[in-house]
Amino acid sequence: MKDFLIFIPATIVYIAVKSTIFASFPVPDLPLIMIFYLGYTRPSLEGALLCFVVGYIEDALAGGVTGSTSFALIFIFLCAYFLSRKVQFTSALIKGLAAFFLTLLKGALVYAVLSPFSIGLSFRGFALLQALFTGLAAPYAIHLLSRLKFLTGPRAFAG
Amino acid sequence: MIAFIKKYQISIASILLVIFSLHLSLTADKRETGRRSLIKDVIHTAAAPVERLALGTYNTAVGAVSGYVLLVNVNKENSALKDALTALMEENNRMREKALEAGRLKEILDFKEAIPFRTTAAAVVALSADMWGASAVIDKGASHGIRKDMAVISRSGAAGRVIEAGMNSSTVLLSTDLRSAIDVISQRGRIKGIAEGNGSGGMILKYVRQFDDVQVGDLAVTSGLTGIFPKGLPVGEVVKIEKGRDNFFRLIELKPAVDMKRLEEVLVVTDPGFIPGG
Repeated sequence: MKDFLIFIPATIVYIAVKSTIFASFPVPDLPLIMIFYLGYTRPSLEGALLCFVVGYIEDALAGGVTGSTSFALIFIFLCAYFLSRKVQFTSALIKGLAAFFLTLLKGALVYAVLSPFSIGLSFRGFALLQALFTGLAAPYAIHLLSRLKFLTGPRAFAG
Repeated sequence: MIAFIKKYQISIASILLVIFSLHLSLTADKRETGRRSLIKDVIHTAAAPVERLALGTYNTAVGAVSGYVLLVNVNKENSALKDALTALMEENNRMREKALEAGRLKEILDFKEAIPFRTTAAAVVALSADMWGASAVIDKGASHGIRKDMAVISRSGAAGRVIEAGMNSSTVLLSTDLRSAIDVISQRGRIKGIAEGNGSGGMILKYVRQFDDVQVGDLAVTSGLTGIFPKGLPVGEVVKIEKGRDNFFRLIELKPAVDMKRLEEVLVVTDPGFIPGG
């Protein structure tokens, strides 16, 4: 439950800043980085539920279709969980690449969910840029998250 | 069964949540009632202060930056305006000079038309820088009909004579030069004398006897006897009278009628009646 105390406020702050200051700028997807980190370091039921809640908050604040981001983030969480059994996410390069492709995957999943609604989407350009920035920011964000272990106890964020 | 669920609890829970999320997203339009749900209200209420803070900070930062940028732009604009102002002031000065020159030329033209002899207008382009010399260069020469020993006059009076005529410019010996000597007569007492330059901007009236009737304030004018200067042109005003060392002639100082330092436009007397040698 301590994860909720960090991830949810962080998501709210991220969405608030993204929707005000960086409204049309492809900023790194911080919730995705958090979910990815959670998926390969500490997969749990709470983690899965947290993905749903973070996705719901993102949809609620960003005005997206409710459930679309939750769907994508849980999928990302599962991918990270399964990938962690095959791949060692130790180096910054691997973390960055993983974040890059997972951001593209998230974009594709949200696009797939929203396309039946005929919502105008410019997927390629913006999604690629966001994936690039997320991939670049992921190693630093994950490093920062791993330093927050004192807030959630010694067993958490053992990355 | 329970062991299976426990072993794969994360995957099972995630899959269920995925399905639930997909259901939510695919049925979203059917649930639209126009009113926001309670959960979304709570989320928005929680996010509102953060959004206000972020926006306020952003606007403050943008305001400060744009203020700086504007100041920078204002500085550039100020500098450009100063340059433009300087250029305009210079042009204004040029225009003023042109207007003054036009005024002077009109005056000299009027003077030229009033005098009963032929003249050629010329502009002084240089004045001599010698300590004891007083000469000027005018912008007319032999190609304009100027010849040596022609009189050079202005509205104020006799300025000097041409000592050297080039093709397009001429040198004028001013009346205040040591080498200058103009035959004059006092306007009031009709006393004859020679006005010579003293080399320091003034003139001396020579060969006036002790008993001749000359007073301070008398105007010395050209006598017209030498054939160089027309008769009656002001040469200088008597400013000082002293007894000469020889006790026969007076030592008389003249203030030149023409201000040599402000000489700009002159007339050269080109009338054949006043050209030495015809």
